[in-house]
Amino acid sequence: MALTENEVRGIADYARIALEPEELTQMTAYLNDALKVIEPIERYIDADVPPTFHPIGDLANVMREDDVDRDRALDIAAALDNAASSREGMFRVPSILGEGGES
Amino acid sequence: MPFNLDDLTAAEIASGVAQGSFTATEVAHAALAAIDAREGAIGAYLELTPELALAAAARIDEARSAGSALPPLAGVPLAVKDNMNLVGTHTTCASRMLETYESPYTATCVDRLLAAGCLPVGKANMDEFAFGSSTESSAFHRTNNPWDPARVPGGSSGGSAAAVAAGTATVSLGSDTGGSIRQPAAFCGVVGMKPTYGAVSRYGVTAFGSSLDQVGPFARSVRDVALVMGGLTAGGRDPLDGTSQDASADYLEHLEDGVEGGRVGIVPALMDAEGLAPEVRRTVEDAASRLEAAGAQLVEVSLDHLEAAIASYYVIGPAEAFSNLARFDGVRYGYQEPGAATLAEQSALSRAHGFGQEAKRRQILGAYLLSSGVYDRYYYAAQKARTMITRDYLAAFEQVDVILMPPSPHAAFKFGELADPTQMYLSDMYTISLNIAGNPGISVPTGLGADSGLPVGVQLQGPAFGDRKLLRFARAIERSFADGKKSVLPVAPGCAGKGGELA
Repeated sequence: MALTENEVRGIADYARIALEPEELTQMTAYLNDALKVIEPIERYIDADVPPTFHPIGDLANVMREDDVDRDRALDIAAALDNAASSREGMFRVPSILGEGGES
Repeated sequence: MPFNLDDLTAAEIASGVAQGSFTATEVAHAALAAIDAREGAIGAYLELTPELALAAAARIDEARSAGSALPPLAGVPLAVKDNMNLVGTHTTCASRMLETYESPYTATCVDRLLAAGCLPVGKANMDEFAFGSSTESSAFHRTNNPWDPARVPGGSSGGSAAAVAAGTATVSLGSDTGGSIRQPAAFCGVVGMKPTYGAVSRYGVTAFGSSLDQVGPFARSVRDVALVMGGLTAGGRDPLDGTSQDASADYLEHLEDGVEGGRVGIVPALMDAEGLAPEVRRTVEDAASRLEAAGAQLVEVSLDHLEAAIASYYVIGPAEAFSNLARFDGVRYGYQEPGAATLAEQSALSRAHGFGQEAKRRQILGAYLLSSGVYDRYYYAAQKARTMITRDYLAAFEQVDVILMPPSPHAAFKFGELADPTQMYLSDMYTISLNIAGNPGISVPTGLGADSGLPVGVQLQGPAFGDRKLLRFARAIERSFADGKKSVLPVAPGCAGKGGELA
């Protein structure tokens, strides 16, 4: 069943991408086209094989001691260098809840 | 007679520098002069780095004066795709989102080529965040195909392929998630290789599809691609990339051994596929006969689940892209929308205005595919299809050494010709199954198409970590089409000879 604009608005919210009204119409048409390209995959839902999530099968998380690697860690100035706004050595963001003005 | 960089391979530049026929600094100046004369008509680069190239050249010349042995790519001009960090450059991924982003460190792949002696001349244009097959989705400018400026160079590594075809770099680096090295190599008439997944470190390369992405080289000859593979894998496993494997080897060692007694797979269904241009089909058949004449045996093999490859790729790729690009929230780096009242609004507007259309499309598709209730139907099914595709390849490589097929259904298309995004996706039919399985592949030019007059070529696919074998078969094809020349196709005629002269 085709996705509606309302559903696509919900998906875009989840993806944290604001869409203008005309973009929403185009995005809905695109998603329905794209779903036609990928629909053949549904035939594999019940395939009697294990899924392969990764070309290297036996990958495990890489664990190490929780120590700072001074050779690799960016210093604070370098870490903040690409941020659009920072203050007192920290990334600066607007209020999370939208109340109380500047955070 | 003065040398022109157009006529020199990477191997010849390195040996010329080592023997003192010319200095690395002279090579750097020649490359920069070629860029000055040609880049305006091509637009392969997003940023030029003459200071970095000259500084690297000076270090090589000093090392030679001091009597030190020179590294294998000493003095070779290198272009780097703009999704790879290099200190002293921006890394924009051809996106407004990262327009001002400065590389805080250098990617391992770039670092290793600098250690091998390359001169970084610039950062190459690409489709935004590597989403595309034509470089048309770059937020900054288009890149013209050096063989016909009305046509695209392919993508997403279009700038890297065009730079080598235009002779403004001798070698370049690209990344291949679904064909983004092999297809632009075919469109621009150069050699482009996607190594086995894990063979080349991705540390410092902006992630797109983490289970698919692989970094690889472009050059005008198979030998130069092999030389760069040696540089990329020297040093073995990179502890900074959890997927990195030790693939260090002498990639030149068996390059000229030939294919006598080798077995080359042909997939009839791929040769009869709808939409395959006759000139591409003919050149693949021609390459097959030449391999046969060189002593190889042709064997029909089937890859039964290839029809699921496009579908599973356009599930896995967008899902992984959505996860990877969630980090661009406008806080730590990237475009930040001014004046937003809340963090959520700032993120949503920064992403809306920082990303171009295709980047938004892929992420919203990925968000949908990973959402509750949808995940099992598409994402989980795609991972099962991935198992079947991988098993098909394993079975095929029990019968053959390599598989020969087209790199793309057609030669380079015109700007705007594939305007519909899902039509563009279908044009990836010959390249994406390889990324799903993690195997290596290489695109080798065979000449100019009889119908289009544009570069055409073939693709070879090999078993995982059979990269050296793949190069040996690629070299046999190149040798059979090159008529004794160093490469099948020269620097594109509109560019050749403009600048690039070594005094």
